[in-house]
Amino acid sequence: MSEQAMIGSVLVVGGGISGMQAALDLADSGYFVHLVEKTGAIGGAMPQYNKVFPTNDCAMCIISPKLVECGRHPNIDIMTLTTVIDINGGAGDFTVRVLEHPRYVDSAKCIACGQCSSRCPKSVDDSFNIFMAKRKAIYIKYPQAVPLKYQIDPQACIRLNEPEKCGICAEICPPGAIDFSDRGQERYLRVGAVVMALGFQPFDPGKTRAWGYGLYPNVVTSLQFERFLSPGGPTGGVLVRPSDRQPVQRIAFLQCIGSRDKNRCNNEYCSTVCCMYAIKEAMTVKEACPEVEVTIFYLDMRTPGKEFERYFEQARTERNIRFVRSRIHGVEPKGQKGDLRLHYINAHGRQVEETVDLVVLSVGLETPDAMVRLAEKIGIHMTPDRFASISAFMPVHTSLQGIFTCGAFNGPRDIPQSVIGGSAAAASVAALLNPVRHSLTRSLPPPPEQDVSRQEPRIGVFVCHCGTNIAGVVDVEEVAAYAATLPQVAHVARNLFTCSQDTQDLMVQQIREKRLNRIVVAACTPKTHEPLFRKTLKSAGINEYLIEMANIRNQNAWVHSQEPELATAKAKDLVRMAVAKVSGQTARKPLRISIAPSVLVIGGGVAGMTSALNLAEQGYQVYLIEKTQQLGGNALHLYQTWSGEHVPRFLRELREAVQQHPLIEVCYTSTIVAAGGHVGNFTSLIRTGTNRKRTIDHGAVIIATGAKRYIPEEFEYGKIPKVVASIEFDKLHMHNETRVANGKSFVFIQCVGSRNRQRPYCSKSCCTHSIQSAIKLKKEAPDRRIYILYREIRTYGQRERIYNQAREMGIVFINYEQHGPPRIRKADNNVLVEVWDHVLHRPLEIRADMVILAAAILANPEAVALATMFKLPLNRDGFFEEAHAKLRPVEFHVDGVFVAGLAHYPKPLEESISQALAAAAKAGRLLSRKEIALEPNIALVDPDRCDDCALCLGVCPYQAIKLAEYRDGEGVLRKTVTVDRILCKGCGICQGTCPKRGIDVAGFTTAQLEAQLDAALEAAAPAEEGRP
Amino acid sequence: MIYEAKVNELAEEFGVHRNTIRNWINSGILPAQEGPGRRYLIQWEDYRRLCDKYGRQPRLKPDSAAPGELPAASHSPVVPASTPVCLGAKAKDLDASPGLADICLTCGSCAGACPISGVDELDPRKIVRMAFLGLEDEVVASSWPWKCTLCGKCEAVCPMNVEIVQLLRRIRARCDRDKVPAAIRKGVVTCLERGNNLGIPKDDFLALAREMGEELARISCPGFVTPIDVRGTRLLVTVNSKQPFAEPDAMTWWWKIFHAAGESWTISSEYWEGINWGLHAGDYGAMRTMVKRIIDNIERLNCTALLLPECGHAYYATRYALERWFPESLQQFKIYSVFDLLLEYLHEGRIRLDPAGQTKLATFHDSCNYGRHSLKAFGHGYFEEARILTKACCKRYVDLVPDREENYCCGAGGGAWADPFGAERVFHGRIKARQISASGAKLVVTSCLNCRDQILYSLNREFNLHVEVQFLWELVANALVMPPAETREARRV
Repeated sequence: MSEQAMIGSVLVVGGGISGMQAALDLADSGYFVHLVEKTGAIGGAMPQYNKVFPTNDCAMCIISPKLVECGRHPNIDIMTLTTVIDINGGAGDFTVRVLEHPRYVDSAKCIACGQCSSRCPKSVDDSFNIFMAKRKAIYIKYPQAVPLKYQIDPQACIRLNEPEKCGICAEICPPGAIDFSDRGQERYLRVGAVVMALGFQPFDPGKTRAWGYGLYPNVVTSLQFERFLSPGGPTGGVLVRPSDRQPVQRIAFLQCIGSRDKNRCNNEYCSTVCCMYAIKEAMTVKEACPEVEVTIFYLDMRTPGKEFERYFEQARTERNIRFVRSRIHGVEPKGQKGDLRLHYINAHGRQVEETVDLVVLSVGLETPDAMVRLAEKIGIHMTPDRFASISAFMPVHTSLQGIFTCGAFNGPRDIPQSVIGGSAAAASVAALLNPVRHSLTRSLPPPPEQDVSRQEPRIGVFVCHCGTNIAGVVDVEEVAAYAATLPQVAHVARNLFTCSQDTQDLMVQQIREKRLNRIVVAACTPKTHEPLFRKTLKSAGINEYLIEMANIRNQNAWVHSQEPELATAKAKDLVRMAVAKVSGQTARKPLRISIAPSVLVIGGGVAGMTSALNLAEQGYQVYLIEKTQQLGGNALHLYQTWSGEHVPRFLRELREAVQQHPLIEVCYTSTIVAAGGHVGNFTSLIRTGTNRKRTIDHGAVIIATGAKRYIPEEFEYGKIPKVVASIEFDKLHMHNETRVANGKSFVFIQCVGSRNRQRPYCSKSCCTHSIQSAIKLKKEAPDRRIYILYREIRTYGQRERIYNQAREMGIVFINYEQHGPPRIRKADNNVLVEVWDHVLHRPLEIRADMVILAAAILANPEAVALATMFKLPLNRDGFFEEAHAKLRPVEFHVDGVFVAGLAHYPKPLEESISQALAAAAKAGRLLSRKEIALEPNIALVDPDRCDDCALCLGVCPYQAIKLAEYRDGEGVLRKTVTVDRILCKGCGICQGTCPKRGIDVAGFTTAQLEAQLDAALEAAAPAEEGRP
Repeated sequence: MIYEAKVNELAEEFGVHRNTIRNWINSGILPAQEGPGRRYLIQWEDYRRLCDKYGRQPRLKPDSAAPGELPAASHSPVVPASTPVCLGAKAKDLDASPGLADICLTCGSCAGACPISGVDELDPRKIVRMAFLGLEDEVVASSWPWKCTLCGKCEAVCPMNVEIVQLLRRIRARCDRDKVPAAIRKGVVTCLERGNNLGIPKDDFLALAREMGEELARISCPGFVTPIDVRGTRLLVTVNSKQPFAEPDAMTWWWKIFHAAGESWTISSEYWEGINWGLHAGDYGAMRTMVKRIIDNIERLNCTALLLPECGHAYYATRYALERWFPESLQQFKIYSVFDLLLEYLHEGRIRLDPAGQTKLATFHDSCNYGRHSLKAFGHGYFEEARILTKACCKRYVDLVPDREENYCCGAGGGAWADPFGAERVFHGRIKARQISASGAKLVVTSCLNCRDQILYSLNREFNLHVEVQFLWELVANALVMPPAETREARRV
């Protein structure tokens, strides 16, 4: 395809978290995005969740800024209630036929006042609340929905079914937005590429009667349970039994409902996410009510992800959540009062019968039939498990060129993997469509900024309910009324969700109408939400820094939920302090600097090479730093992916592509010795193999420094030659060494060095690896006896297929627990392995020709030095810690630095590749902006007060302060300190050190902080008698 | 140490009725001394033995008085010093295909679903595991395959579709014939040698059949003559030998229905047996022979349809044998299960049923063979048919929970009614008894002789159920509105 013929826009199908991420990354990288969503609002499944692991952030709260960002992005066109009918054409130029279903409400006119819904006479079960609450026939999907436009459910609407009846909404709608004659219409879109983020649906356990779903009211799915826990859910976050609204005492979670099952459904795969969400839901319950007894019945606890194992351990040991390894066959009612009976066999083979109040079915994920049909129609290959068929080497590429895929449509996966997939798809699109970047995007300059410096402060206070997160504890009406009494406050408003898109529009309107020039948002944390509100201020035509946030949620409602009166008083204090501080706020201009259009990629393994190649294809200069003499990293030891693809061939091709790309410079036997600068303009010092030093300027960094392997100290490793580690075994196996060739009996031992006290994490890839080796051995000689001794088989996702295959071939799996590891001793020419059988409750003895240890993956010890150079955090296990485990999985809090591959956490090849592409997307998104605005929250010197004592020089951790000489008006040579605007991070140490008040961090001046403190100490307003 | 408990506490602990506990105490199974306050004092060792027998976690341990589970460490290799099982190259005759054991996930669903898992360490998961690991002789030598009722609840819940029942049938087949429980062995031998399980002589049977026919004609079916060896009739009917032996009246329920429906039918004078214990014994040769006799009868008498034997296991065995060994015969004649036939009569208006006479709250107990086994083997389980017919005869109806595919066995399936393991059979039946009590039903309808006998004679007594139990055809016969004689005659043509 010639470059001229390519189209610079992209179709993203599916408005869930993965699709949204792809859309945002693409729109910010210079492509116009059509985001097609089949329901009435974007967001996907995440808005239904209560909290997300591991930070226990409210799911709605962290996704809301992304929703709004999508909603108001000038280069994202959201098409809701729209389905894709067909896709024709080829990479670079597709024609997509879409069908826009009627909304019956004119989006341009609807002001989301909600009068229609409040008067609508027809109530139906609300699918957003999984049919546990009601909604009207005219409704919005959820309160923070983007776009916030009402829609009519054609099945439920009286008027649409009986033309002569009802029609109340149309009569009362103030802007006259209701249109019963709305008809669906087909449209054709021309795009250069397509991203399929088709998502999943939860398994419907009502297909069989065995679990009592739909029969007994106290059997709920995990998603329903999320809604029960959610403050916005049908019970307002109060956990009660559906049958009688009584408090819950005993809860049982049943795992693998609709997963790993070919009897009651045809889902052989593992749904990957259920173990973790069950633990999370159990933890949420235990945190709120520690006396509730919670049991999780499982087959294998699959917690292979980063920090998952610790969470699992914490749940078990600190929160007293009971874990029982027994799959529950069915749920039966006990008595007439809604109790439920479970019958199972415990770890000792004894019968146990238990009664619980509530059963939560941990339902799996599956691809909706309609999506399977769409994929088939377009011609995308699917796996037998009905997910998109992808190569581990190209984890976001479908079988059709130019059509990419991400999220749970690629196989069951959690939020971080979906976010990574979204970014990875964006990176792949950006590489394809690089020649037509910026060809179809538009930029909307913000309205001119009015100068408020000479105006008296007119402060607007916006008090957020955050659903019931705040309003459930704090009397927000009282806080709002109180705020109105504060000096200079010109306007007070309350909002159900201040971060929702409609509130942003409202804020803009109110700032203009009431001529507000300072804003206080009393809501949540500025860490996640201030950027959103700053954009709102900008679009209202006032300087974005004239804002202050009072965190009345995290620092108040959440921590004082048991003392609502005191919490209300504290909220008032926080608002009063914020008002005092914001009145001294001044307009600031960010410093705009140009970005060096090059990237430093550290580590020449698969992750590093993948990032490098993608960025080069996106047109950026890449410096790839490899400390050895060859590219390949840990993948040099791998032979095949879980699905049997040949790794050495892939590696050879990738290496050649990297070496031959004109924009990639590979520096072999090189290491980073020093790093300086900041986002957009880093300067790194490299030591090359010949001990020469070299300086490289680059705009971004990708850390892909890989990991090391654990050298076992247990199981007689190193003492008995027939006991080997798995990587060594692979080599012996490949060369068919005599020990392997003549071997008749092989024992694999899993979790060697992983999941123990020193290393409480799972190495993620070893179960799959051992099973693959075992299958290969068995295929070579079916009479070989092969035993895999495991603690938990973690063939998550579609890998379960090879676990099933292995058992079918007669490979023996024996479960051992940490407190009873297998014992190994030498006997004649063989090794004797003794292990306790988890089913027979008897010891087994195996005479093995070889014992293979699945050794752990360790963090690269060199990460410490890099982390110090780039000021990055490492987690307790020595892996790089990303900015946010869920939504910023490849970023750091330090801008411009990204991570991928094993440096982040042990993972299989396709996840490393995905993450490497995501990191490339982030770097590419940054570099495509060409220039960057630096935060102006930096130290400013007041020359009148500064007496050039230079105390501040020594304390500055960024070497940003220098002593300069100048001549004053009279020509006298004087000294003063100057601050480098780029190096300064605004930490404020200088401010605290200065004895003369001669230096202030903008936005946090001593005067502002004093005003804030005075306000805090002020006797608070009326109605305070009751305070202790 | 002494374990002290009241009868009802023990009953709750072991999931059985107070009667069962008293029986255990009276019979010495549970040596206990009466103490003050209607409590029994039980020596720790005796209590532990009972717990082991029924696979229960003891509520009390010698080293600590606190109830609750034993620490998980107790199954670490250090504690019990049993000799290790040496795994190696072993012939795996039992485990002939991966579907029988290899694909097992060891998830425990089967063991959780089995009403008697844990009893004498019986555990379907363990049996599968032993077959898989090559411990075949040990499994075959154990009493487990005979305590198991082959109800298939385990198999129905298995996420990997392991063919556990099939495996157990293979284990039964592998048993030395002198290890097969005596009653079953004897039944098979007698049937092969003398034509029916109980060795009833031909003349006795014919005389009884004639006599019962005459009585029926006198009481309710004027003109009825028992049709023995009537050539050219439509339907061949078998007889369960227990009925002529123990309750001859029971034969006439069907006869009355046939009479009312104007059916053209006959019983063979030889090989009329409607029981097939070849299935229970794991003796497929015997099973095949018995079915072949039925086919021979059809051919000899020139019938065009067969009413498959009424008892659950015999229905299954006969249909299985026909489909497996005599598929061509299915082209020659039509087969009816009892449900098919009754429902055909009802739908075609050949019989009329009046529920007015039956005021008790009724329920239907699904036989494992007519239910989930039939569903799995033949693609259809007789669930709805049973309920349509029961409701046509009873004014008030309630379902058991769970039922249909998920139903619990009565406890006497797989030949267990005839086995020597009575205590286990009663223990197995505790769940059925609980289900019946919980439903509030006072009339239990079923379609299998074992189920009927177990509920009527055993569970009723052990669990104070006070329920009436009827066969489905008994219920239908009782609810029949007898048509005037001429209509019947007209139909018979």
